[in-house]
Formats: sequence, structure tokens, C-alpha cells
Amino acid sequence: MGSRISVFATLAITVLFAGLSGCGYNDLQGLDEDTKAAWSEVVNQYQRRADLIPNLVATVKGYASHEKETLEGVVQARAQATGIQVTPEMLKDRAAFEQFQKAQAGLSSALGRLIAIAENYPNLKADQNFRDLQSQLEGTENRIAVARKRYIEKVAEYNKGVRYFPTNLTAKFLLHLEEKPNFTVADEKAVAKPPEVKF
Amino acid sequence: MDVTSMSRVWREPARLMVFLGVMLIAASAWALDVPPLTGRVVDLAHVLPADVAASLTSDLEAHETKTSNQVAVLILPSLEGEPLESFSHLVGTTWKLGQKGTENGVLLLIALRERKVRIEVGYGLEGTLTDLRSSHIIRQEIVPRFRSGDLPGGIAAGVQAILGTIEGTYKAGEVLSDRAPGQEPTAFQYMIIGIVVGTLAGIVLSHGLQRTRALLGSLLAFLVAQFASVGLGIAAAGVTAFLLWLILQANRGKGQGGGWGEGFTTGPGGGFGGSFGGGFSGGGGDFGGGGASGDW
Repeated sequence: MGSRISVFATLAITVLFAGLSGCGYNDLQGLDEDTKAAWSEVVNQYQRRADLIPNLVATVKGYASHEKETLEGVVQARAQATGIQVTPEMLKDRAAFEQFQKAQAGLSSALGRLIAIAENYPNLKADQNFRDLQSQLEGTENRIAVARKRYIEKVAEYNKGVRYFPTNLTAKFLLHLEEKPNFTVADEKAVAKPPEVKF
Repeated sequence: MDVTSMSRVWREPARLMVFLGVMLIAASAWALDVPPLTGRVVDLAHVLPADVAASLTSDLEAHETKTSNQVAVLILPSLEGEPLESFSHLVGTTWKLGQKGTENGVLLLIALRERKVRIEVGYGLEGTLTDLRSSHIIRQEIVPRFRSGDLPGGIAAGVQAILGTIEGTYKAGEVLSDRAPGQEPTAFQYMIIGIVVGTLAGIVLSHGLQRTRALLGSLLAFLVAQFASVGLGIAAAGVTAFLLWLILQANRGKGQGGGWGEGFTTGPGGGFGGSFGGGFSGGGGDFGGGGASGDW
């Protein structure tokens, strides 16, 4: 008799855990990690871009020092973008995320203006140092586009898990996971188009 | 019901079908598909003489044998309106150039009509074949030759410069030894871990609580396997519970289950692509958008 009880209890526990797994506990945890990793890559690439800027500004200054407004615009936009403390917790805070996105978009457009004025200075355009910096900037912008695209895909996957039944129950009551903010399309368009450069 | 009204009824759907058909053709013609990976040099614009293509292919093959780097060349007649950077990234990730783990692939893409060229660099080679170095190769090796009309010469020089740059980064065979420590256990391994741990726990616990030992054993097995693979965790727990129950039934009171041989072998799973000789296929490498573009 005792063994029969143990069999039933074993079955019950197995079913219980199977049910728990069916709720996507592990899947959700994995997706959560994936989005964090994708986010780190985005931040990493933005940081890389910010690191290139001081050199770029210095080079442009050498040829076009009187373009004060544009140069200062870039410096300010960079300060604003790097001034934001980036943490994984930012993904839970929609306002902070938007602020980050806005600052980076501001830097993108300031850089766009800087590259545009370079067109008016043939000596600057021919400068080897400037061309090198520009190719690095292009490469970084392209990496940012890729990193953002991957983040968008990962978050879409994660948000599905958080919203779909039955995994939404696990997300809500067990893991306390919420939907994560994603990059907006309008902004995506601006970033996906790398600054046009002609040598 | 006369003939004209009948035909009118039929005309509308027919027109719709034609319209949809045209749309479908237009859509498929508009979006440029990633061409199939037919070899290390995919020349869809037919600009390379056969002997140049053959010698490039053998160079690239020798390079992969020596270093495990996978370098491929794609020459397109046109990008069909696709942006160069995103299409190039799409080709690299679709072809999966480079080995999984070291991500050491490079794609040299040339679009004739747009007169654009790009070097797309895999994650693992970004440190050696930097954006700057890629840009220099394009500006110094490729573009001057292209401008003077020597497409094959520019491509060959570009490939040689790429190979020379990434020569020392990886060695063949490094891929496997690199991956071994961080390699994920295979499905079988999880199952075995689950079964072994569950069984041991069951045997140890048999000195204690008679009735609950099977439960605890299966629970432990499940928890161990849970960390990686849910479905297998359940399977392992279920199997363990069943086996322990059998033992319980068989030698009640004796409290020990002898070892039963599980005839599994736990070799290193996975296995990486990158076939040598014969056909050529990508090894599973990934691209993060590194590299440089240029035009002529």
C-alpha cells in the first residue's frame, strides 16, 4: 500500500514540475538574459562612438575652427549622451530608456551636421586623419544599427513571452517581469541610414 | 441570367488574380535575395576570368585550412536598391561565414552598377581587420585598380590584403580547443546527469525514509536537469522515479539498487560546419556590422 502512495505522489510532483516548466520559467529567464546582453551590445557601440568624437572634433577644428556652433553642438550632445548612467535596470524604466534614446539621437544629428560641413572644406576632406576617423565612425554607426536591430528582435521575443498565455502568468506572479521598452521606428530610420560620405 | 452578367461576375476575380500575380512578381523582383553560397567566390556579374576565380578559390581554401578563417567574395551586378551595409550583413549572417565560436568570417562584396564595395568583418576578426584597416584596403588596394578598369586585379589585391591582415589571428584547430571548456553539455549529458544524480540520491536516501526516497530522488534529478533543459529534466525525473519504483518493488527492504549500465557515450557534441574540399559551407560565424565601405 505504501508503495502505491509513493507512486501517486511521485506522479503528482512530476506533473507539478512539468506544469511549472510549461509556464516557461526557464524560457523567460533566458529571454530576459538575452535582452540584457543585446542591450549591453547597444550601449557598448554607442560608447565606442562617443570615444571617437573628441579626436574627430579636434581634427575638424584644425581646418574649420570658425564653425564654432556645429563643433560645440557635437561636444554638448556628446556630453549629454555620455552623462546618462546606463544600467540594465534602465530597461525597466521607460522614461530613462527614452531619455537615453533621445540623447543618442541628438548626438547622431549633431554628428550629421559636422560631417555635412566637412563637405565645404576640401583640405579637411583630403586629410588622412579625418578620413580614417570617418571610416571608423561609419563602421561604428553600422555596428550601432546592427546592435539595435538585434535588441529590437530580442525584446520583441521577450515581450511576446511576457504577454502570451500561459507564460504571462509566470512572468507576472513568479518572476515579476514586465514588458521592456523598444526602439521606435522613426528613430530607427534615422539611425539605420549611415551618414553619407563621399571620398 | 444572361451571358454578360455571368462574365462580369467572373471578370472581377480574374482581374484581382492578375493584379495579385503582378504584385507578387513585382515584390519578389524588387527585394534582392541572398544568393546561394555556391563557392568561396560567387561571381554573379561574370567579371572574373575562370583562371582568376580558380586561383582565388584555391587561395581562400588554403587559407581556411591553415587558419580556419573563412573568407568569401560576392560580386553582384546590382544591389537592386538594397542598402549596401544591411545587405552585406545579411549575406554574411545567412552564409554564416567563419567558425562558430571564433566568428572569423570575412565577406568582400562588390556591387557593379552602384560601383560600391564593402568588406564585412566577423566579430572575431574585428580586432585585426579593423574598420580602419578595411577602409585602407578598399582605398589603397581595391579602388585605384577598379578606377583604372581592372576589376579582377582589384578583387585579387583586396583578397590578398585581407588574407595577409588576418593571417596570424587564428590557427586551424583552435576552434575546437577554444570551445571545449565553455561548451554546453549535450542533451544526453543532461539526461545522464539527471538519472545518475537521482539514482544516487535514491540509494543514499534508502537508509532513511523508505517511502519518500523515490520522490526525493526524482525531485533532485529534476532540479539538476532543470538548470538547462526543461523537457529532458522532466524525462529524466520521470525515468528515475519509475526505475526507483521498480527497485523498490523488486528488493523491498534490501534498500540498494545495483548499478545498471546506461550505454550512453558522452562525446563532445555539436561539431562545426566549415566543410573542407568538395562543397563549401559556412561554419556558423556571426557578424556585428564591422568593416568598411567605399565606392569607385
